[in-house]
Amino acid sequence: MEDLDEYDHQPMNEDMEPEEEDADEEITQEDAWAVISAYFEDKGLVRQQLDSFDEFIQNTMQEIVDESADIEIRPESQHNPGHQSGIVGCVVLRLSTFWRKNDGCPGRNFQTIYKISFGQIYLSKPMMTESDGETATLFPKAARLRNLTYSAPLYVDVTKRVIKKGHDGEEVTETQDFTKVPIMLRSSYCTLYQNSEKDLTELGECPYDQGGYFIINGSEKVLIAQEKMSTNHVYVFKKRQPNKYAYVGEVRSMAESQNRPPSTMFVRMLSRTSAKGGSSGQYIRATLPYIRTEIPIIIVFRALGFVADKDILEHICYDFADTQMMELLRPSLEEAFVIQNQQVALDYIGKRGATVGVTREKRIKYAKEILQKEMLPHVGVGEYCETKKAYYFGYIIHRLLLCALGRRAEDDRDHYGNKRLDLAGPLLGGLFRMLFRKLTRDVRSYVQKCVDNGKDVNLQFAIKAKTITSGLKYSLATGNWGQANAAGTRAGVSQVLNRLTYASTLSHLRRLNSPIGREGKLAKPRQLHNSQWGMMCPAETPEGQACGLVKNLALMVYITVGSAAYPILEFLEEWGTENFEEISPAVIPQATKIFVNGGWVGIHRDPDMLVKTLRRLRRRVDVNTEVGVVRDIRLKELRIYTDYGRCSRPLFIVEKQKLLIRKKDIHALQQRETPDEGGWNDLVSKGFIEYIDTEEEETTMISMTIHDLVQARLNPEEAYSDTYTHCEIHPSLILGVCASIIPFPDHNQASQSISCLRKFVGGMSPRNTYQSAMGKQAMGIYVTNYQFRMDTLAYVLYYPQKPLVTTRAMEHLHFRQLPAGINAIVAIACYSGYNQEDSVIMNQSSIDRGFFRSLFFRSYRDEEKKMGTLVKEDFGRPDRSNTMGMRHGSYDKLDDDGLAPPEDAQGQSARYTRRDHSISLRHSETGMVDQVLLTTNADGLRFVKVRVRSVRIPQIGDKFSSRHGQKGTVGMTYTQEDMPWTVEGITPDIIVNPHAIPSRMTIGQLIECIMGKVAAHMGKEGDATPFTDVTVDNISKALHKCGYQMRGFETMYNGHTGRRLSAMIFLGPTYYQRLKHMVDDKIHSRGRGPVQILTRQPAEGRSRDGGLRFGEMERDCMIAHGAAHFLKERLFDQSDAYRVHVCERCGLIAIANLKKNSFECRGCKNKTDIVQVHIPYACKLLFQELMAMAIAPRMLTKDIKQAKSQKKKGA
Amino acid sequence: MGKRKSRAKPPPKKRMDKLDTVFSCPFCNHGTSVECRVDMKNLIGEAVCGICQESFSMTITALTEPIDIYSEWIDECERVNSLEDDGA
Repeated sequence: MEDLDEYDHQPMNEDMEPEEEDADEEITQEDAWAVISAYFEDKGLVRQQLDSFDEFIQNTMQEIVDESADIEIRPESQHNPGHQSGIVGCVVLRLSTFWRKNDGCPGRNFQTIYKISFGQIYLSKPMMTESDGETATLFPKAARLRNLTYSAPLYVDVTKRVIKKGHDGEEVTETQDFTKVPIMLRSSYCTLYQNSEKDLTELGECPYDQGGYFIINGSEKVLIAQEKMSTNHVYVFKKRQPNKYAYVGEVRSMAESQNRPPSTMFVRMLSRTSAKGGSSGQYIRATLPYIRTEIPIIIVFRALGFVADKDILEHICYDFADTQMMELLRPSLEEAFVIQNQQVALDYIGKRGATVGVTREKRIKYAKEILQKEMLPHVGVGEYCETKKAYYFGYIIHRLLLCALGRRAEDDRDHYGNKRLDLAGPLLGGLFRMLFRKLTRDVRSYVQKCVDNGKDVNLQFAIKAKTITSGLKYSLATGNWGQANAAGTRAGVSQVLNRLTYASTLSHLRRLNSPIGREGKLAKPRQLHNSQWGMMCPAETPEGQACGLVKNLALMVYITVGSAAYPILEFLEEWGTENFEEISPAVIPQATKIFVNGGWVGIHRDPDMLVKTLRRLRRRVDVNTEVGVVRDIRLKELRIYTDYGRCSRPLFIVEKQKLLIRKKDIHALQQRETPDEGGWNDLVSKGFIEYIDTEEEETTMISMTIHDLVQARLNPEEAYSDTYTHCEIHPSLILGVCASIIPFPDHNQASQSISCLRKFVGGMSPRNTYQSAMGKQAMGIYVTNYQFRMDTLAYVLYYPQKPLVTTRAMEHLHFRQLPAGINAIVAIACYSGYNQEDSVIMNQSSIDRGFFRSLFFRSYRDEEKKMGTLVKEDFGRPDRSNTMGMRHGSYDKLDDDGLAPPEDAQGQSARYTRRDHSISLRHSETGMVDQVLLTTNADGLRFVKVRVRSVRIPQIGDKFSSRHGQKGTVGMTYTQEDMPWTVEGITPDIIVNPHAIPSRMTIGQLIECIMGKVAAHMGKEGDATPFTDVTVDNISKALHKCGYQMRGFETMYNGHTGRRLSAMIFLGPTYYQRLKHMVDDKIHSRGRGPVQILTRQPAEGRSRDGGLRFGEMERDCMIAHGAAHFLKERLFDQSDAYRVHVCERCGLIAIANLKKNSFECRGCKNKTDIVQVHIPYACKLLFQELMAMAIAPRMLTKDIKQAKSQKKKGA
Repeated sequence: MGKRKSRAKPPPKKRMDKLDTVFSCPFCNHGTSVECRVDMKNLIGEAVCGICQESFSMTITALTEPIDIYSEWIDECERVNSLEDDGA
């Protein structure tokens, strides 16, 4: 409250005074946009990536280094032939004296112990060491252009201690070069961090670029978030009958900072029918890690030291009055009746372990270890965890029984509260941990070798900085997460950042992937789940195999980075949580169970107060804002989460049906002078807004709009709820980046049936999903610094326009600054019919005026190479007199340095860079040399990138689309005279066919069109944000006021005839996108051309000037036409003819020397009976391959009769 | 020459090992010669080596499986061995 008063005293208060009376007024939906602006101002669009990476740099890395134990090396006695036993006594004696003299070598009497430990790590700014040894700060621009890796050196304190003869020797601490860590752009360790727009521009960066990616060898790499099931969580599933089991409880347990894969425990209840012997009951059994059969649960309890039936039951069923549950446990108790003490129970488990035929003591020890270290490691792996483990194990069974009794539904695997996202930080963390372990292993073996050989230990040589550096680089460069060619690596984690258009870049940085087999038949994981509301974009997902598995974050999602659990544990302790030592199980049914990150920490008798306090503290930021507090009243549980990877989103807090944020707070927000003071964080710390994660969301009542809330207050009888706890900031924020660009998405059909998306069924089609995919192929300005970049491919639109009809979210996506389209005048008409089947007619005169003209850049790169010490490649102009292997064509375009100068027109087959074989322009492409960059790479070798530019003018065959999944290719261009015109003399730029509309139901496009018309006339932008109260009627009225037909129709006249068209035409400005697919890049035909060497079949693909396959269906067609001779002539005589010489006796290919005119079959010693046969080359190859695998394909040239008669002769 | 299949199928998931039912004989050391009979009616379990005909029997319970009988046998051998050791 004090904060609030302070706020009031701010100078801007003066101009607020007249509004004093409404200062306490409820805010409007419009005001919510001020809050949203504050959010994006503060966070940007790739906050999850940056936060996650910062967490990795600032904490995780040091934690990983700290968690490694000291490396302790004792000299190992060397194997020494003749030294082992006393067989040759005198030799042994002499040898040992010899060893004694050699001080410091393995001796048995004294031991030198080396201890190496890693301490503090230090990270510098990104640096680059040139080949001449000069080190300088590295900027992203240089890294991109010179194909370097944007990484910062990391140093570590290494302490070496030598303990001689028992007492501590010298201790040396050195700071060592450790590794180079790739740095995420715009993270707090990036050189660009907190640079102003001006500075960024001066550094050659695009101020709109959000960072969030890495630069590895010059290419930009994004880490795609990976979805996984949350660990340490009890899931209970009902099995579909018939099945051996009726119910299964499942916990994937993983201790914090554990690198191993989680240890899974199953507790299963057998189904009634399948039990052994048929009649007996529903036994409950558990699987333990490394134990080869299921163990009856009661035996597990007995092995944990809970022997009496009562003790056991208390841990499962808490309430003995619950006879139903007790009854379900009876079979299990009876089953385990024969095992009545801990030793026997342990033995029972031990016998079923990995080793067979060991003694009882060993088995018991083994079983104890499994129970302590492997079973439910998140509860504890130390000694004396038995009580905790028994409680947790009992809880799993309790949950299973609740489900079996039908008191609780089975768990939902696809609920988003049960999912966690691994972002860049945790992904790099896992990789770093693995590589660091490898490094310590290497250090250990190196030092061991040194010690054993009696050499000095030099830490500089021991620590190979390359291990981690190249390991990180490898994974980031290839996307194979994990060590090269090791098992268990995930592919495609790191991807090349998509730079086609700005929106595609943003969307790529907010993408996430579920690593489930793409072939899986199961539709469930692909479907949109209720709990994904506000977290995942409902429209943006690819079509086809990855549909629903690849998702995109909604605009206002916050992914938790994780915080320590101990402040929460401390708080709980302070506020009266009772732990297991203090309580008897009998009180559990009355109290609420408290879980922190899935671990059961104790019980509390006044959960109401506890939750309220926790929430209050969280809203005051005394407790981390990202902590999730979930109170499950029915289950009597309070679950608190501090872990990383939960999806959460900000919501307005509502108390007593009133938003806590008031009008005056919005005023303050709007009138602040610098963005730093009192922005988003202030709103959060004042308790107006809080982050709610997916699981906590289930315990809230969220009002969709502020209006709903006001109505509920004014009109309680008709209100949907009188217990609102939160209010949506704006419902349009459930969409992701690409779907936010669509105007009126709420007016398009959005059938989200996955079967529709995977394969068209019933003609339903989600247009918003199609547009979300297509928006990524639209040309625009992808970054402002594209002139300083050398992307391999780049498309830039000539005169991009900001759309006339916009959404509010676009503002934050910088779509106005970096647009990808043009406001075209679009008519919906047939007009000559050259726009059938999704083609469009385009105005040639508009094209001539520059309509949808675009640039296409392609960069080629090459470098000088060193092969050994003597041979070195260098750039230069080749000379036919002294260069071997020069190609046909002209080398005149090249300068003396071997590079083509800028602004040189390049026709086909001009070469611009020379090596022994120089790189030439792609055939089928033409262009000007736009820019030549000559520099050196990391090895100090000369390195060149050449960018070729060409202008692409729209032509028949190029692809265009509106923002509603209505794509089409140009089918015809008409000059303005031939286009239809209105009374005002307006001619359309594009005419689309009316058939494109009814079945697809893209009403959004029609509304966009009339709103565009209004906007153009009023000189304003139209607001097409979804879920607002804009109606078609309102727009129509506004249009009418402008003097037009209400629904956007216009009388038009035929351009060819000048006659009035009988129907009125729907005409207006619609934002159109030019997609990257253009005919000039696709057109392909070939007569003769290159063939493969081995098969002599035509090469494949346009880029290789390949052939067009005349396949078996085409062949069938020819046969059906009765054109068999034509087939033979085309397919054989004219393309694949070959002749071989065949021995008439054995039918195999003979040796033929045509020059000497000698023929021979060596096998048959035959030089006379040889014939020439014409077969296709492919056939000859087949025969030879068959022969290579010991199959003799014989070509018998005489007719079969003769062959038969030969046989008779033989017989 | 058709295209090769792009990638080999991932190896099938490893199921949990089943419990052994044949064991190595503590007397003749043959790898898989010991088989166990579990007689639930009379609650008697017997382990017999098919090669050297050594055998061992014990009373069992409903939960007994071959591995239990075999392990008991190993324990018994151990016990006898240690007795002999002490005696000697």
